Amino acid sequence: MKSKFLVIACILFLISAGLCFANGQKATASDQVNLKYIYWGSPAEDAAVKQALSEFEAANPTIKVEPMYLPGDLDGSTYNAKMKALAVSNTLPDVGYFRPEEFGNYAENGYFLKLDDLIARDGMDDSYLPQTWLKIQGNTYGAYSAAECQVMWYNKKVLEDAGVPIPPTDYRNAWSWDEFVTNLKKITVDSKGNHPGDPGFNAKDITRFGVSYDLWSAMYYPSVWSNGGDIIGSDGKTVYVDKPEAIEAFQNLSDLMNVHHVMPLVTGGTSVSPMTMLANGQLGFYVTGQWTLLELGTMKSFDYGVAALPIMKKPAQLYVSGVNVVFNSTKHPEEAWALQKWMMDPSKTLDLYTSGLWMPTKMSYYTDAEDLAKWLDNDVHPEGFKEAVVDSMAVAVNEPIMIKNINQIWGDYLNSAVESIWIGEKTAKEALTEAAGKIRKSGLLQGTY
Amino acid sequence: MAGAKMGFNTKRQTLWGWILISPLCLGLTLWVAFPMGLSLWTSLTEWDMLSKAEFVGLKNYITIFTEDELFLKSVRNTLYFTVLSVPLQMIIALGGALLLNTQVRGKRAFRTIFYLPSLIPIVVSSVMWLWLFNSQYGLINYLLHSVGLNRVQWIDSRHMVIPSLTIMNIWNVGNIIIIFLAGLQGIPKDLLEAVEIDGGRYWHKFRFVIIPLLSPIILYNMIVNMIKCLQLFVEPYIMTGGGPVNSSLSFVLHIYNNAFKYGKMGVANAMAWVLFILTLLISLVIFKTSCHWTYYEGDR
Amino acid sequence: MMKTRRTGAVVLTYLCLVSGAICCLIPLLWLVRSSLMSTEDMFKLPLIFFPKKIRFQNYAEVFTMVPFAKFYANTIFVVTFNIFGALISNLMIAYGLTRIEFKGRKLMFSLSIGTLMLPAYVQLIPLFIEWNWFGKINTFFPLIVPAFFGNAFFIFMLCQFLRTIPRDFDEAAFMDGANYPLIIAKIILPLAKPAMAVVAIFQFMFTWNDFMGPLLFLNDREKFTLAIGIRTFISTYYTPWGVLMAAATLTILPLIVLFFSAQKFFISGLTLGGIKG
Repeated sequence: MKSKFLVIACILFLISAGLCFANGQKATASDQVNLKYIYWGSPAEDAAVKQALSEFEAANPTIKVEPMYLPGDLDGSTYNAKMKALAVSNTLPDVGYFRPEEFGNYAENGYFLKLDDLIARDGMDDSYLPQTWLKIQGNTYGAYSAAECQVMWYNKKVLEDAGVPIPPTDYRNAWSWDEFVTNLKKITVDSKGNHPGDPGFNAKDITRFGVSYDLWSAMYYPSVWSNGGDIIGSDGKTVYVDKPEAIEAFQNLSDLMNVHHVMPLVTGGTSVSPMTMLANGQLGFYVTGQWTLLELGTMKSFDYGVAALPIMKKPAQLYVSGVNVVFNSTKHPEEAWALQKWMMDPSKTLDLYTSGLWMPTKMSYYTDAEDLAKWLDNDVHPEGFKEAVVDSMAVAVNEPIMIKNINQIWGDYLNSAVESIWIGEKTAKEALTEAAGKIRKSGLLQGTY
Repeated sequence: MAGAKMGFNTKRQTLWGWILISPLCLGLTLWVAFPMGLSLWTSLTEWDMLSKAEFVGLKNYITIFTEDELFLKSVRNTLYFTVLSVPLQMIIALGGALLLNTQVRGKRAFRTIFYLPSLIPIVVSSVMWLWLFNSQYGLINYLLHSVGLNRVQWIDSRHMVIPSLTIMNIWNVGNIIIIFLAGLQGIPKDLLEAVEIDGGRYWHKFRFVIIPLLSPIILYNMIVNMIKCLQLFVEPYIMTGGGPVNSSLSFVLHIYNNAFKYGKMGVANAMAWVLFILTLLISLVIFKTSCHWTYYEGDR
Repeated sequence: MMKTRRTGAVVLTYLCLVSGAICCLIPLLWLVRSSLMSTEDMFKLPLIFFPKKIRFQNYAEVFTMVPFAKFYANTIFVVTFNIFGALISNLMIAYGLTRIEFKGRKLMFSLSIGTLMLPAYVQLIPLFIEWNWFGKINTFFPLIVPAFFGNAFFIFMLCQFLRTIPRDFDEAAFMDGANYPLIIAKIILPLAKPAMAVVAIFQFMFTWNDFMGPLLFLNDREKFTLAIGIRTFISTYYTPWGVLMAAATLTILPLIVLFFSAQKFFISGLTLGGIKG
């Protein structure tokens, strides 16, 4: 009897607790504008964005911004699914991040505010990096939220231990691929102290690896470009992935894992964090997105550095980022645009840049020494960041998001082909020739937006 | 016969019947029939949810079977997982229940422990097993390595990924054990004693008393688990993303990708219908054959 | 001779049970162990079995990194109503389907079972459009209301259960002048109480575990439930594994507590075959 009473009491308590919180709706003043800002990111990015938004609120007392955070993942499918759900239900937010691979599709269907007039009115055209503005049929519908690219971090102590020289930071005079591999072999060591190539080396028992590459589509481009190749032509109709340059680039990456044994084999899940391996001294180099500096900067426990990306044939760099858009359905286009401008302006949201999350899209932060110092001169950005990363943006090429169906071409054909290369099941030539044939037949090559 | 004896005439009885099951009728209309209709219609269109839907007839169904090579692969993967999981689950659960149904000490503790994994939300267990299966830092490989065995590439290998998910699935077998155990305990003692008096061995008890009396429960668990397995989604979605090389791409994950990743609602819904029909067929076969081997006490 | 065979069997039984129990427990213990470690320590080789520096901070960070307390409240809110709905609707339906003879009941039963075979994940999009028509997106309604319309799993289970209760009970009640609601309340419910507990616990688990529903219907993180809340820790580039494991531990804790306190109901619910016809 007693226990029964307890159960009932508990249920009543739960219901009332639930009701209390469900009724916690707030009334809003009539002259106040409410905006919803949608975004993804790690918990650290979440905090950084929230901070920027609340500063915007403080500067614009009549505008309230409701942060709308969605969990992100590698290929953005969760975010995309959510966005689609919002679009179908006409409950899109006002402004915020948008997944680049879906940008063209939504822009073509009129979901975004056309920005050209606003940009011209506010004189923003020339003061931002030209790649920043994303145009569909001559009209601007969005802007990259930041300039982001591929970088190579390293653990200084690991390099010292292995007797590897500190790599160059000038992106034009970086290590050649062969130099890179030679040094990686010096770093990689098994539990008995043998290196790859030594007689007793046991590839199944490696305690320290030379390098880890983030293995996802956008991160392959710089390697392929560096080798003079491409994946799908910018016309959206020509497949280049089975040309010798592209094949060689992929084979080089695969050899890191399967021939030289200097890179851990990582497929599928996100379980091994190369960042942690790097911090623990189990990894020499980590090739990843520059935004990981946000997390790296919080790890005070080890000394990290940045190196220029190794060059296969020529220096290459990728310009990749989430897209910032104002949704056409917003009732407050002016205020939404003001918020987007705020998020793009390093003078307003400097923390997002000094913390390492973003690199500015505004020109003066690359050309003007004073502005450069504002975001680079701190503990987070390691020495040489300017030469290795910032300057390399001069050769950066946009991620080819304007190619129709590019997301599905990767998802249905290229990712699995590339994966079969990584696990050593097929050579790059076999896998990519096969995939290219399928892509050509698939009907997905429909040009560009 | 019993119905006619009851206090109501058939009309009242019918009325009461429909009143009692009215939530079911409403629910079937609102949450099943209508969405299914919408889904069927969508499967005949080309629709990305953003622009207007365009009627294309059976094109999506033809596309699935002729152009989409991943479709058959996902069906194969899912069936492989199901065929591997369901019998193993049934055997292990029945074995566990039989062991627990003997005169062991700490029966309650064992029962509790076996059941615990079934409590764990699938998101949590996916994250947890992702961590256990990790080929470098995972516990499983560490233990294998420390007893001198080779490390296994669990979810990183295309041959091991489905068996790995099966292992994970079998870890959850506790709820079936509990249900079987409950069924075993419901078997009248006198029947078992009768077998003993007739000089029967344990095998005879098992074959002629336990299995027949347990058959409705076995049927229930088999069907429920088969359907669960055919809808494999969260584990590959969180753990492998369908990889490596699509070898854990399940049917539902493929549908999900088509719908949400590529915005092909028509194709995705067509696939859903194919899955629906496939599931229906398999279940029908099981149900049709079940009358030969199941036995209900309440029915005549 | 008989004796030794017995002993052998007993030893084997215990061996199987104990190893089974270990297999069940280790992953969970590993989860708890990992939740008390810094992410750096988790990635050290050789593996550290027991953290030297216990890091309770992970548990604090669960609540500061994301609005985890809110996830909790939301989940409990949704779960409570789901249980309530499931208890009422499923017993009614199962009774109607098994113990009243009327035309169409077999059809309705098959239809209900048919829904078990629906690919639930694909229904979600049409369901989403439907709930959008009702204007209830980003509320808890889509997660709660369907529970009041019965669930094929429970209906099937309760039907299986009710079939084991002899019809004579109902007939005797009719002789005494009872009607259907009275029979359900006075005769079936007391007999089915343990089965109802099973329904409640299963519903609790279904709702607690539901991943796609909240993901699709809820937009604001303030409204997230635990299942999708946990995912907000998993980031592409850097996952705070220690904190994630702590969040996972906190997510399963109520399930475990509930299970231990309600175990009796649950087990006895399925054991109730005691009435012989």
